[in-house]
Amino acid sequence: MPQVISSSVTAEPSVDEAALYFDISQADKELVSHLESTSDEMGDILIESFYAHIMGHEEAAQHFRDESHLERVKRGQKRYFADLITAPLDDAYIEDRRRIGQIHERARVSPTLYIGAYSYYLTRLGDHVRQTMKDDPEQAFAIAFALMKLAHFDMALALETFVSAREDTIQAREREISELPTPVLKLQDGLLLIPVVGTLDSFRARALTLQLLEGIREHRARAVVLDITGVAAVDSAVANHLIQSMAAARLMGAQSVLTGLSAEVAQSLVKVGVTGEALNTAGDLQSGIVLATKLMHG
Amino acid sequence: MNSASIQTIRSDGDIVVARQTGRKIAEDVGFSRADQALIATAISELARNIVVYANSGEMEISPVETVSRSGVRVTAQDYGPGILDIKAALADGFSTGGSLGLGLPGTRRIVDEFDIQSVPGEGVTVTIVKWIGR
Amino acid sequence: MTRRVPILRQNGILIASIQEELSDGDILALQSRILSDVVSINAKAVVIDVSALDVLDSFGTRTLTEIASSVELRGARTIIVGIQPEVAMAMVLLGLDFRNIATAFDLDHAFDLLRAA
Repeated sequence: MPQVISSSVTAEPSVDEAALYFDISQADKELVSHLESTSDEMGDILIESFYAHIMGHEEAAQHFRDESHLERVKRGQKRYFADLITAPLDDAYIEDRRRIGQIHERARVSPTLYIGAYSYYLTRLGDHVRQTMKDDPEQAFAIAFALMKLAHFDMALALETFVSAREDTIQAREREISELPTPVLKLQDGLLLIPVVGTLDSFRARALTLQLLEGIREHRARAVVLDITGVAAVDSAVANHLIQSMAAARLMGAQSVLTGLSAEVAQSLVKVGVTGEALNTAGDLQSGIVLATKLMHG
Repeated sequence: MNSASIQTIRSDGDIVVARQTGRKIAEDVGFSRADQALIATAISELARNIVVYANSGEMEISPVETVSRSGVRVTAQDYGPGILDIKAALADGFSTGGSLGLGLPGTRRIVDEFDIQSVPGEGVTVTIVKWIGR
Repeated sequence: MTRRVPILRQNGILIASIQEELSDGDILALQSRILSDVVSINAKAVVIDVSALDVLDSFGTRTLTEIASSVELRGARTIIVGIQPEVAMAMVLLGLDFRNIATAFDLDHAFDLLRAA
């Protein structure tokens, strides 16, 4: 799989990018630091009230069934918000934000929950700033905007990490599937079914050929149904492997039937010069088994 | 370590001996059964070319090893009439000796490295290498 | 050294069981014996068991194909039995095939095919 390069912030966000994309300067950091005592005071209260608010919903309640899990999340969130106000914006900060993004992905904290909590916190904190700084609305606005910039940068970091962790998870799963040994199932005496699932690259196609031929030897099979419904794409090299496998099976005395060809796969086969006559194909597994049974009995 | 084997190829019996030797060396090097069959078949084709086109020649079969991989190298050398048109000899379907014409192109397809040198009137040397796990 | 392949006759069927690797000369000898036996007993089928072979190269494939074609001209069928997985794979990769010749996994399979025909 080619590495996916994000178009918004690169895979390695840096302090420079905080400045470039989010217009964050040291001045912003200083403005926000005015909120230190407020944030200390309000952190707990806001977090408690947010969870009291969302726990009324079944989905959230389901997610936080475990009391100690909820407590851990609250503690983490409090520190997270405290860092937003006080921690210097440096590589360590970014690294920490990314780590938390990864934890979110693993703990299945959805972007909705994360951004929702963030938004709840920001609006309440902003409201507090508005009320306590009535005499200096200019400064109140400046602080609120600085806070917004930092918060957006935070969210970008968390989501970039969340997305890339999710991609890693998906890729790892795809790899697992593609490395799964293909099962050789005995449908009845002399008839085998090989359901091929996942990505079929040249390496796996070669392994499949050997499994097919060994399966024929082991089960004394006279017919084999090769079902490729679960195969997404087949390039011409893999199409060639499939044809060679079936030709080799026939040399061993076993008829083979190919089922579950998608339109794309059918096209790949035609490109390498295969016709339906040369290859026994059937539309679906059911008719493939019927055809194989017929061929098996000569 | 395995040692190389050098054999004279003069009769069809020598072809059998050559492919058996090749299979044994391939097995010792660690090739799968499927690859052993491929190597034995390639040797059979090269040895037959010697018998059919040049009457006699030599075959050297040896294990090869680099830092990262191991394999088998086969060199088939004859002192026959040579091949005038190597390109044609490597095209599927070409034959001047009454074979199916699949010998050389087929052999080339199943090995990782294939080299053919021929001087008309002096003979042909074919060298093939097959690596494990490729 | 020549290796003589035993040929059994059973109900009009010739069964040639190759026991060990054959040289080109041995295969040619087998070819002429099968063809003369097909004529002498008016065989309706020839079954050639190649399960002991671990190489079937272009010469072997061509000769077996010739045998089958000649047998067919006599109105009889040929079934090649017992090609091993590695041999089948090597043949396919080399571009060799037994087109239009029946193949069977073992002798039982071959007899089933003959009965079904």
